[in-house]
Amino acid sequence: MSSFGRLAEYATAALLVSIVSGFVVAYQYEVADPFISCVAMEAAIPFGAFFRALHFWSSQAFFLLMWIHIAQSIPRLEKLKSSPRGRIYWAVLILGIVPSGVFALFSGYVLRWDATGKAAGTIAEHLLLDIPLAGRSLDRFFIAIANEGLDRVYAVHILLAALLWGIGTWYHTRRVFLKWNAWGLILASCGLVSTVFHAPIDIPQDMTSLIKGPWFFLGVQELLRYLPPLFAGVIYPAMPVMVLAGLPWTKDTKPWLWSIAGWGALYAGLVLIMCMRG
Amino acid sequence: MTRRDWIKKAGKWGLMSLFMYPLYAFIVNVRVRPPEEVRVSTIPKGNEPVIEPQFALFETAKGPIAVSRQCTHLGCTINYKGHEKGFLCPCHQSHFSWDGRYISGPAKKDLPRFAVKRLEGGKGYIVEIPRGLP
Ligand code: FES
Repeated sequence: MSSFGRLAEYATAALLVSIVSGFVVAYQYEVADPFISCVAMEAAIPFGAFFRALHFWSSQAFFLLMWIHIAQSIPRLEKLKSSPRGRIYWAVLILGIVPSGVFALFSGYVLRWDATGKAAGTIAEHLLLDIPLAGRSLDRFFIAIANEGLDRVYAVHILLAALLWGIGTWYHTRRVFLKWNAWGLILASCGLVSTVFHAPIDIPQDMTSLIKGPWFFLGVQELLRYLPPLFAGVIYPAMPVMVLAGLPWTKDTKPWLWSIAGWGALYAGLVLIMCMRG
Repeated sequence: MTRRDWIKKAGKWGLMSLFMYPLYAFIVNVRVRPPEEVRVSTIPKGNEPVIEPQFALFETAKGPIAVSRQCTHLGCTINYKGHEKGFLCPCHQSHFSWDGRYISGPAKKDLPRFAVKRLEGGKGYIVEIPRGLP
């Protein structure tokens, strides 16, 4: 199998491990008492820390493999570009997988409801509310923490897993089975990492001066200090996804790819500044 | 495309929107909830407030005030800094005075206050917190 195919298989395997371990974690997770149930998993429930970590690390692995797979797919765009069907196919994949992947990972941080999770959740809700006209409805669909607590975030977190699996297998590859070696390798490597590194959870701390969000959100967090929420938290992060989805409609993809790279460099810089804040 | 095709297409979309609207209406509806009443049994001493998860309660010459701890920028829980006599938001570093007035940072708006009732016999206070979004 080509390295392209193999990596795609690993990405799917990581998603499967993430979904299955997510269901395991759900047996002990309590949406009405989110933080305490996560702490209990860490400290008291047999293998709780392992399954939380497995869910955490396999989700991170899926997220990274998804990006590598997208990058690897770009040279194949030329073929897709030639037919309207191919162009739509690419756009559906990007717009279906990327925002869902990001939000699934993000909502996982929110669901643990520690200081980072709380801050991330409320910020995301207020960012959605800042979107003109559709803001309130979007909030009702995806977050609604102010009114519903974590109920909606939890429902959407699970729904996204189904959506990612559906688009990634049925729509994308028309097959839903995986080779044992890909699935075994991902399970073994994530399992190994999970026995050593726990999934993070903040220890309750009174009056902390700085909360850092999830690692992929740090750039947005930094930008929110200077720019209006609608731009810093919605338009700016959506830019590369829109460009990526629109690639098949461009004559020359190179300048657009450079614009994504420029965006990435700027984002990495912002993440770095935020990391250095003490 | 023939007329028949158009009608078929319109029928499909029509049917879909017929199902979409109830779904939309179901999900965006907000159930009305009564305000939450939080009982505070501790009395603030001197200038020091009583800190609760949603507010900070101060005794002033004009009576008790409960200042919301939800940042007016993007909703993070702000912290009271006793030595500065003010609040600091840990998310993007907005500053507010002890009574909730905006000082600096991206928030730009003052912190809201909640209604406070003092209980008879020095038994504490009841603070009324509206639920949901303003
Ligand atoms: S949420 Fe408080 S400064 Fe941004």
